[in-house]
Amino acid sequence: MNRTEAPKIKLIEQVTLPEFKLLHLDNGVPLYIINAGEQDVVKLELMFKAGKWFEKKNLVADYTNRMLREGTTKHSAKAIADKFDFYGANINTGVGYETGGAVLYSLTKQIDHLLELLVEIFTESTFPDKEFETIISNKKQKFAVDLKKNEFLANRNFVNALYGQSHPYGRVTELENFDQMTTADFKAFFKQYYHADNLTIILSGRFDEQLIKKINDSFGIKNWSGKKADENITHTIEPAKELILHTEKADSVQSAIVLGNLSINKKHPDFLKLSVLNTVFGGYFGSRLMSNIREEKGYTYGIYSSFVSYPHGGFIEIASEVGKEVREATLNEIKHEISQLRTELIDEEELQIVKNYMSGRILRSIDGPMKFSETLKGLILYNQDVSYIHQLLKTVREVSSNELLELANKYLDYEKMYKITVG
Amino acid sequence: MTKFEQFQLSNGLKVIVHEDATTTMAVVNVLYKVGSRDETPEQTGFAHLFEHFMFEGSVNVPEFDTPLQNAAGENNAFTSNDITNYYDILPANNLETAFWLESDRMLSLAFEEESLATQKNVVMEEFKEHYINQPYGDVWHKMCALAYKVHPYQWPVIGKELSHIEQVKLASARNFFFKYYRPNNAVLVVAGNVKANEVKALAEKWFGEIPAGEKINRQIPKEPEQTEARVQDVKADVPVNAIYKAYRMCARTDADYHATDLLRDILSTGDSSRLYQHLVKEKKLFSSIGAYITETIDEGLFMVEGKLSEGVSMDVADAAIEEALETIKSELISEEEMIKVKNKIEAYMVFGETNILNRAMNLAYFEMLGNPDDVNHEIEKYTALTREKLQQIAAKVFRKENSNTIRYFSNN
Repeated sequence: MNRTEAPKIKLIEQVTLPEFKLLHLDNGVPLYIINAGEQDVVKLELMFKAGKWFEKKNLVADYTNRMLREGTTKHSAKAIADKFDFYGANINTGVGYETGGAVLYSLTKQIDHLLELLVEIFTESTFPDKEFETIISNKKQKFAVDLKKNEFLANRNFVNALYGQSHPYGRVTELENFDQMTTADFKAFFKQYYHADNLTIILSGRFDEQLIKKINDSFGIKNWSGKKADENITHTIEPAKELILHTEKADSVQSAIVLGNLSINKKHPDFLKLSVLNTVFGGYFGSRLMSNIREEKGYTYGIYSSFVSYPHGGFIEIASEVGKEVREATLNEIKHEISQLRTELIDEEELQIVKNYMSGRILRSIDGPMKFSETLKGLILYNQDVSYIHQLLKTVREVSSNELLELANKYLDYEKMYKITVG
Repeated sequence: MTKFEQFQLSNGLKVIVHEDATTTMAVVNVLYKVGSRDETPEQTGFAHLFEHFMFEGSVNVPEFDTPLQNAAGENNAFTSNDITNYYDILPANNLETAFWLESDRMLSLAFEEESLATQKNVVMEEFKEHYINQPYGDVWHKMCALAYKVHPYQWPVIGKELSHIEQVKLASARNFFFKYYRPNNAVLVVAGNVKANEVKALAEKWFGEIPAGEKINRQIPKEPEQTEARVQDVKADVPVNAIYKAYRMCARTDADYHATDLLRDILSTGDSSRLYQHLVKEKKLFSSIGAYITETIDEGLFMVEGKLSEGVSMDVADAAIEEALETIKSELISEEEMIKVKNKIEAYMVFGETNILNRAMNLAYFEMLGNPDDVNHEIEKYTALTREKLQQIAAKVFRKENSNTIRYFSNN
């Protein structure tokens, strides 16, 4: 046996997607169903167009969502918590820029007990002042702790520099914002955005078909319609004038750094190819940034780059926390890696590794019903269908180093990047 | 129910195979029975640093990650007080790549000065990022040292201080490797879209020739019973006062472990749990509070930690936690609450099984503890518990003289 020789590998040429169905409830709500897996569990995800894109006052989308578990016309906050916990379920509420909603994780045998309450928090929430006061005063403490973290500060300075304070992607929270909202704001936002015409449901796990009927009985209800969220709302981008912003922290032993600029999002035809370029640059453990700045220089525990995509925009971001004394050296190395990608073709061996690695990542993103439901959610946000996954694999397999060189010149420019450092 | 087959190679390597035809992936998980408890007080953080070193090339393969990524895989590892666990996830038809890589680094490492030097830097940055440059980042160092006086759990996995990592020499890495990274001190689990007979053949082919090491004779000092409450005050540049309480508890393999774990759920799992409902929502003494256990091979810690609401004194906060723990001792848990925590733990465990990597890691862990089939009997051990048993364990654990308290004051 020759241990210096790698065993033969098979390339991933195509993927077989798990089966899924799209149905519509009686009131028109789209319901995606992935019925597979070996365990009798259910993940029920409710996505409303109720994200930060639609709020008129900072934090209102977040706290409307957070308050959903804090009381309905029939149940107190404690009664809601008691009931979900009693049946062993977990309910996670959360908000993104586009959507807000909840994910319920439950054993299949218990879910019948929970559907009614789940509907209730989206139809009968009361937003009690008493509960809000507790939540907000606790959140203000957490916020004070966050403000002590260099990484948190660097991120907020970064998005604020890119988008400015009038845009949801750039707006940063100040302590006083927590006192500028009232439960009346939540009631109004709730009424406007949390209704059947803004809702999409993804059901995954292993269950019998009866559950689909029950979900229709629960969420397919009449008299729950409203005005669809306005997709044409726009916000003004006000980028910072200065590209460089450093915040000195005398007692820090590390600096947090974030670099980047506005870029394209998933809707742009270059985006798939660009995701390959990004993987080479800083998108996986073997990336240029990791190999150079962590594995050769030992400046950091980790460094990555990412083309962040939101439905209404996107940007590139390079982030790390590095020894304070090597902050400038790190920036120079990032600059150097960008320049390499702009001037030299990626060699075939390196590109092949990235292609193989990314193919594996695609395979993992559809492995199992719950993993696939996450991937499906990502597609739904952009009105894309699952052919996107096949297209991604095809692009990964076919993109050439010449194309990547061209993309590097188009989308990676150190001089245009904001350079935000804290520490 | 996780089905599996097991066998052992002549060099002592234990192998477990778990077939699952519903996935296209395979997981190769290698657990080495070595962690920070095997370190000496002068060279802490070593086991974890060594985990980094394991990726720096082996005797026949210059790099670990690249060939695995080329085979469409990904990998990672973690070090705990007791074990170091490595895993690879890749398409099942490239399974042999993981065998090749994992077996070569069990055979021997490249042991290069330069890569050790780099990983020392990387780990020192990790130390700074998580334990120095973070509000409250040093609390775990302080708590370990307060709660353990002789047992090596007295320092955290990352190490007691940066200088210990800085001072590591290549020779000690070599000794460490040939002592602990031997097949007779490891468990190999292969899970996913694989066949047991194919795994058997691959295991013989790649791991069969690796020589066994000497039997490890651990002489880890037993931590004496604690006889009086310990309290330490800390002042730091943090915005909010916090309190951390550690109660000494049993080992992972102890008969009392499951009851102790359920006590944690009673106190802290879910929004309906006692600490959140009573101390955050009703009395508003804390802005956040939680409990967890350390789940270690030797005797562990039952932790309660919280951040105090503005204007609440440390004494009041401390007394409120103690009262919540006293209540479990003095009043029998209601039947409803008992059903709740059992339902919670059942759901938690079944959801855990949906993930193939999780199943593989659990099999390896339970094999290391003594019997891999125990993964299939964990739920029963929880459902068999009575309310009286929980009360009895609470009385044993939640004693003042068994407690270690860190009062963390904001100096703002």
